[in-house]
Amino acid sequence: MEETRGIQLSLNQTQKIRLRKAINHLQSLYSKINSNASVTVADTIPVNFEDSILKGHGTSERDGEVVATLCGVVERVNKLIYVRALRARYKPEIGDIVVGRVVEVAQKCWKLEINFSQDAVLMLSSMNLPDGIQRRRTAIDELNMRRFFEENDLICAEVRNFQHDGSLQLQARSQKYGKLERGQLLRVPPYLVKRQKQHFRHLEHFGVDLILGCNGFIWVGEHVEARDTIAEDRVDNTEQQNSKSNRSAHDMPIEMRRNICQIANAIRVLSNLGFSINLEVILEAINLSIKLNLGIDEMLGSEFHVLVAEREVERRSSLTKK
Amino acid sequence: MESAKRKSMPTEALRPNKQHRENGSAFSIEQVACVHDVSYPEGYVITKKPDSSDTKPAKEFPFALDPFQSEAIKCLNNGDSVMVSAHTSAGKTVVALYAVAMSLRNMQRVIYTSPIKALSNQKFREFKEEFSDVGLMTGDVTIDPNASCLVMTTEIWRSMQYKGSEITREVAWIIFDEVHYMRDRERGVVWEESIVMAPKNSRFVFLSATVPNAKEFADWVAKVHQQPCHIVYTDYRPTPLQHYIFPAGGDGLYLTVDEKGKFREESFQKALNALVPKGEGEKKRENGKWQKDLIVGKLGEETDIFKLVKMIIQRQYDPVILFSFSKRECEFLAMQMAKMDLNNDDEKVNIETIFWSAMDMLSDDDKKLPQVSNMLPLLKRGIGVHHSGLLPILKEVIEILFQEGLIKCLFATETFSIGLNMPAKTVVFTNVRKFDGDKFRWISSGEYIQMSGRAGRRGIDERGVCILMVDEKLEPSTAKMMLKGNADSLNSAFHLTYNMLLNQLRSEDGDPENLLRNSFYQFQTDRAIPDLEKQAKALEEERDSMIIEEEDSLKNYYELIKQYKSLKKDIRDIVFSPKYCLPYLQSGRLVCVQCTGTDDNSPSFLIEEPIAWGVVVNFDRVKPAGEDDAGKKPADANYTVDVLMRCLVSREGIAKKKIAIVPLKEPGEPLVVSVPISQIVNLSSARLYMSKDLLPLEVRENTLKQVSEFLSRKPTGLPLDPEGDMKIQSSSYKKAVRRIEALEHLFEKHEIAKSTLIEQRLRVLHTKYELTAKVKSIKKAMRSSTVLAFKDELKARKRVLRRLGYITSDDVVELKGKVACEISSADELTLTELMFNGVLKDIKVEEMVSLLSCFVWQEKLQDAAKPREELDLLFTQLQDAARMVGKLQLECKVKIDVENFVSSFRPDIMEAVYAWAKGSKFYEIMEITQVFEGSLIRAIRRLEEVLQQLIQAAKSIGETELEAKFEEAVSKIKRDIVFAASLYL
Repeated sequence: MEETRGIQLSLNQTQKIRLRKAINHLQSLYSKINSNASVTVADTIPVNFEDSILKGHGTSERDGEVVATLCGVVERVNKLIYVRALRARYKPEIGDIVVGRVVEVAQKCWKLEINFSQDAVLMLSSMNLPDGIQRRRTAIDELNMRRFFEENDLICAEVRNFQHDGSLQLQARSQKYGKLERGQLLRVPPYLVKRQKQHFRHLEHFGVDLILGCNGFIWVGEHVEARDTIAEDRVDNTEQQNSKSNRSAHDMPIEMRRNICQIANAIRVLSNLGFSINLEVILEAINLSIKLNLGIDEMLGSEFHVLVAEREVERRSSLTKK
Repeated sequence: MESAKRKSMPTEALRPNKQHRENGSAFSIEQVACVHDVSYPEGYVITKKPDSSDTKPAKEFPFALDPFQSEAIKCLNNGDSVMVSAHTSAGKTVVALYAVAMSLRNMQRVIYTSPIKALSNQKFREFKEEFSDVGLMTGDVTIDPNASCLVMTTEIWRSMQYKGSEITREVAWIIFDEVHYMRDRERGVVWEESIVMAPKNSRFVFLSATVPNAKEFADWVAKVHQQPCHIVYTDYRPTPLQHYIFPAGGDGLYLTVDEKGKFREESFQKALNALVPKGEGEKKRENGKWQKDLIVGKLGEETDIFKLVKMIIQRQYDPVILFSFSKRECEFLAMQMAKMDLNNDDEKVNIETIFWSAMDMLSDDDKKLPQVSNMLPLLKRGIGVHHSGLLPILKEVIEILFQEGLIKCLFATETFSIGLNMPAKTVVFTNVRKFDGDKFRWISSGEYIQMSGRAGRRGIDERGVCILMVDEKLEPSTAKMMLKGNADSLNSAFHLTYNMLLNQLRSEDGDPENLLRNSFYQFQTDRAIPDLEKQAKALEEERDSMIIEEEDSLKNYYELIKQYKSLKKDIRDIVFSPKYCLPYLQSGRLVCVQCTGTDDNSPSFLIEEPIAWGVVVNFDRVKPAGEDDAGKKPADANYTVDVLMRCLVSREGIAKKKIAIVPLKEPGEPLVVSVPISQIVNLSSARLYMSKDLLPLEVRENTLKQVSEFLSRKPTGLPLDPEGDMKIQSSSYKKAVRRIEALEHLFEKHEIAKSTLIEQRLRVLHTKYELTAKVKSIKKAMRSSTVLAFKDELKARKRVLRRLGYITSDDVVELKGKVACEISSADELTLTELMFNGVLKDIKVEEMVSLLSCFVWQEKLQDAAKPREELDLLFTQLQDAARMVGKLQLECKVKIDVENFVSSFRPDIMEAVYAWAKGSKFYEIMEITQVFEGSLIRAIRRLEEVLQQLIQAAKSIGETELEAKFEEAVSKIKRDIVFAASLYL
């Protein structure tokens, strides 16, 4: 079903109608922008050959015509034509914030699964040492790599560049990147996370950190003070960190766990509905659930899905009216 | 070779003992004092560091360290940042060397950045000899980029930080050499970016020429990086300097400032008196052409420069560096040394061997380049030329020969004064003025200090000699300023660039506003606020402390006087406009003129102004400068009247006399002075008979006596009646007269006018008003500096980026923005637009290279031929794109002159670069253009840099064909002499 975008929900008849109406409404709001720009593989992209054109990603020339090599939306920037794939795997760009899971501890680097066609590489030298000391990495550091991250650890990093051989390099620019603990990871389709000014969000009200990885991995976890403080309290900091990692997840207060779950469920709902995920929409959904006094588990129910969709219609139409 | 006998100096016997300077040093006044100070960040708790003095130093030097060096090294050992500010020759390199050694010992990375590629190359060699683990990264070459010690240009370091290179996480020490480059208008901002963005926990070594505000700089670093920053300052020179003046046309040197820093007035005057007036040269300069006597020198006669060099050699003051301020002049002066030979046969053989072994890397064709073949005969005679127009390889050979002592006399431009230690015994300034873009100005004291820093070789010479060639009169104060003035202070030259904004916006932590807030510029403006506040407060207090009795009525009176005066002036302007008064300005007419009081800066408050009578001699038109006034009506032109009257002459110095007009009865000389018409108060209807010859003093005395006699009979002086005699019918005149009458009436009524001391009181009131105005302007300045500097510009520039689709409304960088991010060596917006418009796609590789050359060529050629049609067409496309970008910027309220911006892209070397890309030999392309070899090479190297950046950009948009095209372009231009490796590597 096109309208429900394959949402697996048990909806009753009225809910179905309400949801369809809401989604149709949303589509009508954007129908003008999304004209027939979508193509499938081997579709010809109409171009004016009198002007010179630049063929970007997802295009190729065949028999004097520009054809698409991807399913997606044709984008034009001046003379450049490229196809932006929808619902594809994540396609990294330099400067993206990603969340990834360590799959291998290799020579001087970690390999991370980031929902890309290949594993990304985080070099030992591309991350800051926890004590903030600036120095060359030694063989001892190499031996101790598992102290930093080991297999199945979650890491947040930034896309640094593509090597000449096509492999992807990550970096952890500052102390706020690095290992993610005490929280949960959500996987959503990467196209739902649009590039924004800020991908790190601290929800003070909940005491929760939210990291919207451009690769569709979203982290919701307990807030950690940026460890990037001045050099003086370096010593205490390492102690703190040590004690923190010693602390098991068990002593996390129940309130915090509830907050994390609440936010995570809100994101799940949005992802189910196929809405693009940003802080504003998430907060909207959470507020709605609080207003309705819903339990965390009830948030995944069909009624809440429909309500969120309707709320989104209201919000977007009020935006367009402005 | 000239006979080499030492002659004793004309005036001064030298002092063998080293000089002592007292700088109020914080501590040790041993041999040479230095000032040591520390800037702590706010709220920093000073912890006692473990005493590191007993640990082994990371490096030991074979000589005793100067106090400033050991002071700086002490800071390094403590792990603190340090700013070393000292003269070029003082030995700052020692500190850098120690920092490198220490980092290597501690297994840390260290980065050394310098403003100039050539300097980086030289430093690389120097470090490589000392430590083996050294790498080099300039735009041109990369050697061992994984080494622990990396030498690079500051620009490379900046882009590394933006890209988040792993080096940024490993570098413990960053050495910024020649950090005073930060005041460079164009590139200075790179230093600020690099310092602000430098990794936390890294430490800095700043090496700078002497700057008076080193403390301010250190305060800034301490604030931005939250770490203490030490300042070690010394203005000690290992070899003291003597400054001489060589007057043009004269034949001797005059000691002006001796090695103790004393200015010798009488010697200075002697030098100026020996100056041969130039006559001819003066006229030429007025015509806008800067031709100097020493160049013009008559045939057969020795030119000044020749005489001077000869003298230097005779006195054994060689080696000598002669600085001039243009490449052409440099070469021209060297050509005049044709008759001189300073080397013996052994040295000649040596030079030839060194020269050819260096040239060996060139192809045979390149060896035949005129610049190469013309240089050798000159070098063999011990004469060298060094400027940026030389082939880089020649420049390096000359540097090497100079260091070896095989060049005795080097003609150089200012660039030679920065960088590696290449001292001479003597430094000559061939000119006292320098062209700075729009006018010839005096050399600044900072420039003088920098260049004279090359004089005196440490350990060889007892003192250095500086010779200033003077070809025009100059005031002792000007000379003092130049020779003994302060070093230029280090001021921020911060400005925004699009590349900077995009790079900042692209990274998650980046925020252009943050960069602005942390900039040295903001720091300096912020710092000025308390000062301004203090000033404003002091002024306000001063104003409020002035208590004036009956202030209100006095104010009233003050306003009346102001009105009265302005009306009087109006009337005078009408009556004595040339139209009306010219017919009456015959010789012999009695005239009443405003006195120019001796203290003319405070206005008088009397209704009756001091006036003086005199006799008109003649009147004259003043030609408005540079205008052809043939078509102008006489009524519009300005006139001066020559009036014979009594004057008080006071002498100040020799050159200037101050003449003040005084009333007849006061003592003074009878003189003819010219007075502007506006100064005339009244014309009398009477005329005197004037003797034709006014030269004898008695005649003038007699004439003035007649005037006094006449005035004693008719005290009013029988003024002309404006309406009756002069027939002035203007209505505005009548109106003004009526109003003045009314005002005069008011004056009489005003009680306060009768009070005693009215003038003093008015004066007090006037100062009070002036203070108020000052306070107002200071407050205005304060208001503008409390807001974030550049805030408006930042907004405007973001608007431009949005309009062009580089960023979204939420400041997320889009595709085009990502392309522009990569381009830092050319105008990023225009080039990106050009690329996205497909211009680069359609054309041939050679044409594309040729087009891109417009982005990197900045020199302006006067009469460059237009490129051929295809290329010109491309250039027009470039101009269109540039104009579009320029206009859009203007619309977004970025301050920009669109036409200037468009014409900043120069087509001058398109043909040459086209031919180069086609595979021509270098001598062939040199025949196409008139530019200097070195300049062309620099442009092509920069072009290659741009192409590398474009390759990255094309990769990021997935346009593989374009990427391949750029790659091909690189391979086409990167060959032969243009990319010949540096001799230092």
